[in-house]
Amino acid sequence: MEYEYKQKIIYQSNYWYNDGLRKANMHDLSGAIVSLRRSLQYNRDNVAARNLLGLVYYGRGEVCEGLVEWIISKNFKAKDNIANYFIASIQSSESELENYNQVVKKFNQCLNYCQQDGEDLAIIQLKKIVVEQPNFLKAHQLLALLYLHTEQYARARQTLRTARKIDTTNEQTLLYMHELTQLRGKKLKDQTQKEETITYTLGNETIIQPVSARIKEAAGRNTILNILLGIIVGAAFVWFLIVPAVVTSKNHTTNRQLVEYSDQIAAKDAEISAQKSALAEYRSTNDESEETVQTAASTSDSYENLMLASSQYDSNQYNNSTIAEALLNVKRAALGAQGQARYDELVQSVFTPLCDELYATAVSQIQVANYASAIDSLNQVVSMIEGYNDGAALLNLGVAYAKNGDTENATTRFNQVVETYPNTDIAAAAKTALGGDSNVGAAAQ
Amino acid sequence: MLDFQEELKKFKPSLEVEDIEDAVYQENLSDMTDLLREVMDQNNK
Repeated sequence: MEYEYKQKIIYQSNYWYNDGLRKANMHDLSGAIVSLRRSLQYNRDNVAARNLLGLVYYGRGEVCEGLVEWIISKNFKAKDNIANYFIASIQSSESELENYNQVVKKFNQCLNYCQQDGEDLAIIQLKKIVVEQPNFLKAHQLLALLYLHTEQYARARQTLRTARKIDTTNEQTLLYMHELTQLRGKKLKDQTQKEETITYTLGNETIIQPVSARIKEAAGRNTILNILLGIIVGAAFVWFLIVPAVVTSKNHTTNRQLVEYSDQIAAKDAEISAQKSALAEYRSTNDESEETVQTAASTSDSYENLMLASSQYDSNQYNNSTIAEALLNVKRAALGAQGQARYDELVQSVFTPLCDELYATAVSQIQVANYASAIDSLNQVVSMIEGYNDGAALLNLGVAYAKNGDTENATTRFNQVVETYPNTDIAAAAKTALGGDSNVGAAAQ
Repeated sequence: MLDFQEELKKFKPSLEVEDIEDAVYQENLSDMTDLLREVMDQNNK
């Protein structure tokens, strides 16, 4: 019966050893420790469980605790025990063991710092410890606790993550992480609450007013204000920056066009001026041509009339009036030398006797106050021989005009006499007539 | 909310190399077998 109990105890020990092994494989080191301790409680001779326990302690950074288990295991089983290998491995590197010893001393010192309110010093020390011994779980946990205590939540979170990688189900680690989550939630809630409400006191009452309504009220107004402001800024930008540039560009284009047009206008003006000059030249040439034509026509007419007058005179069948009529159409200047000679001959022969006759008639007509007839006669005389009787014809013509009431023509004739025959009796008489006394010349007889 | 001092008390000093020997001697190695033997002995008495 005792054997049966012993067997059951061994089975139980092995059961918990297997459980510990399973948990150790999952990095559930805390759970593995519990299972392995239970295994050893059933059977302290379970060397495998003790070796594994030592290894789990070593995995958590607790080297000395691991060594203790391996030493005990070696005492239970001196040969063919893997604990010998573990111990030899650690003892082989004295420097590493010494380093680890120093780390443990520092950790213990940090605990003292914490108890003496030296959290800052402890944090500094622990930071170095976790660098030297990255899998030292207790150092990570203590550091996380200090970060939580000093409200360095981000660093606490990071440290706890590292701790959880070492031992996934460690109760302390999980507790701190839970605390961190709660703290973060509370902080967000407080922040949100602060944003959502405004608290103030009014007399004895504390008034908590939600902010969202005011924010919502202002939101629409702010949006419109922002839009208006944006429009104003945009308009100002366009007015002060873009419009001047556009205007300047347009002005440049306009100026350039103006310059081009001015050049064109100047060219056209020059062309017009040249055309005008050419036109004037053509006109003058044309005038000269016309004058030449007219002169030619006049010469031809003059010669024809001269020939007519000459033939009439030679035929003796025409009276002097008829011949004079033809002669009056002759322009002496258009004739050649011979023509002029013949003209002069005919004038002498025809104009002189005719003028004598007409002048005598005119004088008589003036004397009997037949001024109109006298004017006709004297006009004929002066048309043939302007200076007939040394201006007497002109003077009497003026008198006839004056007596006839044609003051204008009278004045013209009197002035003509004065200019043509100055310092003569005729001129004096003309001046008298110009003075208002037209009883001169034939009228004075 | 965590109580810093209470949590701090949970942290025990780690074993130093010099303390290994004492720790080995102080290790409680009783197991179920010893308990069973005691019970058997008492029954036999």
